[in-house]
Amino acid sequence: MTLATRLADAPLRENSKEPGVLQRAWINRADYLYVLPSIVVMLIVIAYPIYYTIELSFFTTPPSLQLRDKIFVGLDNYSLILTSDVFWRVTANTFIWTIVSTFAAFVLGLGTALALNHEFVGRGVLRAILIIPWVISAVAASYIWKWIYHSNFGVIGAVLVSLGITDRPPNFIDSVSTVLPSLIVVNVWREFPFAMIMLMAGLQTVPDQLLRAARVDGANAWQSFWHVTFPHLQGVSTVTILLLAVSNFNSFIIPWIMTGGGPSNASHIWITHIYELAFGRQRWGIASAYSVLLFIIMMTLGYFYVRALSGAERKDRG
Amino acid sequence: MTSMPSNVATRPRKSIDGWRWVGRLFLALMLFYTAVPMIWMLITSIKSGFAAMQFPPQWWPNEPTLASYYKLLDPTSSVGNDFLRFFWNSLFVSVSTTILAVIVAVPAAYAFSRFDFPGRKFLFFTVLLRNMFPAVIFLVPLFILMRLLGLVNTHGSLVLTYLTFGLPLAIWLLKGFYDNIPHQLEQAARIDGASRFQAFILIVMPLSAPGIIATAIYSFIGAWNEYIFAYTFLNKNDQLTLPIGIQRFFSENTTDFPGLMAASFMMSVPVVVLFLLLQRYFVRALTEGAVKH
Repeated sequence: MTLATRLADAPLRENSKEPGVLQRAWINRADYLYVLPSIVVMLIVIAYPIYYTIELSFFTTPPSLQLRDKIFVGLDNYSLILTSDVFWRVTANTFIWTIVSTFAAFVLGLGTALALNHEFVGRGVLRAILIIPWVISAVAASYIWKWIYHSNFGVIGAVLVSLGITDRPPNFIDSVSTVLPSLIVVNVWREFPFAMIMLMAGLQTVPDQLLRAARVDGANAWQSFWHVTFPHLQGVSTVTILLLAVSNFNSFIIPWIMTGGGPSNASHIWITHIYELAFGRQRWGIASAYSVLLFIIMMTLGYFYVRALSGAERKDRG
Repeated sequence: MTSMPSNVATRPRKSIDGWRWVGRLFLALMLFYTAVPMIWMLITSIKSGFAAMQFPPQWWPNEPTLASYYKLLDPTSSVGNDFLRFFWNSLFVSVSTTILAVIVAVPAAYAFSRFDFPGRKFLFFTVLLRNMFPAVIFLVPLFILMRLLGLVNTHGSLVLTYLTFGLPLAIWLLKGFYDNIPHQLEQAARIDGASRFQAFILIVMPLSAPGIIATAIYSFIGAWNEYIFAYTFLNKNDQLTLPIGIQRFFSENTTDFPGLMAASFMMSVPVVVLFLLLQRYFVRALTEGAVKH
């Protein structure tokens, strides 16, 4: 059962219960003990910060973060953000980053999962090697790629020069036009194994009989993929894409370590920009307003996504 | 699947083989994409600082040397001393987080899987919702909260934060395992006179060991690799964890790429080894929740 169906089914089941809420809560009081530790921790560390961020977004604060001195400014922070050029630049970067990374990671993950989906010698080893980029730290990955992209001694530049494609090594991450694609390559390098693992597991649920039946009926490889395998992967695919998109939207480490958002904001995405506003320039009010906007965008996208998802599943069932 | 071309009888065998070759070629390319950066990291780490800064590069170092590794692992030098301390800090934070995460997540996941209490759906929704918040939203308020609790510049601040942010995923993973353990086993134990708690400890816990192992690996790897909170909460040199320590090292020695690559490699070793040893559980847990219907 996927996340979406769980959420979609919830209200139906809630209504069908007989006793009142409080009564049921009392009957089941012991059950709450199991969940209590989690709730306490989450309330402290999650609910309070959310409340606090929303509050701070209506204030302007002095750099020292002496909260007694904060000044109420109403919606000024929001209007300041929405009228600035940087905002639109960063938003465009974020969408390019999220959509391209998610799509590329998913397609490469699907390709490797399909190619690994039959027995051959060395399959386990190959799979393990392909997963390693996902396991290692993003900080280490960023430094490895920074060195590979190095504008004087980088290995990619050296290969391009020795093949005679360019005269001198290109500036991958120091030039406005190439920096974002270069960083996306690093991000996809780290992320495609996740899609691969998820889809490999999804492939296990495709019934062998159906594939064999399709072959008997004379379907070629593409037809049996499209008509038999792919429909079975829909649930896993949606979850995978959702998780990838959320984590891409919230990316920080790779752009932060490799470029710090530069050159001239070309690789700033929302999170790196917010971080710089808050901790670099001490503009807590603006940074909080940014966070609230970001959250509204995520909730909106998430809402439509879950709705589309549960709609599709209902249609599936007839 | 109703209308199939009439010439199909002649082509299946051949076309499937064709796709298989496409698959092999694709795998070879992906292996290249995945492995080359890691290989280049290893090759660079055994060069001298001088050999690394050459153009065209030495594809294989003329004089391979382990000097960078000796330097990082030598407790008497200042670099080695720092590196070993960062390593130890990372280990301490990751292990503490892992143990606490398992202790808190096991009962919660069990409750989500078994009991039907008011607010259960809502709670589960919030658990999943948490994943949609970027960490940055929490940084400022958490920083203030930690100051209030007197935890700034302590590892406790990191353990508490990682615990919270790891919990939703941990609970989700474990719930997938508990859903798979038949209720009848517990019911049988209850009939034999065990209390609900005894049934949980004696019957369910041992059966869910693979899930617990997987959750533990997740927590460990997540905590080991975490960057943004550690970067914000810690600023005393002797408290830093590895990702921050490596960054600091690099900003002080901007041209020591062999040293940086050796440090990146050693930082990756624990998680990669752990992953390779326990791969089975790791992969199964991740996919359990998403695939099951």
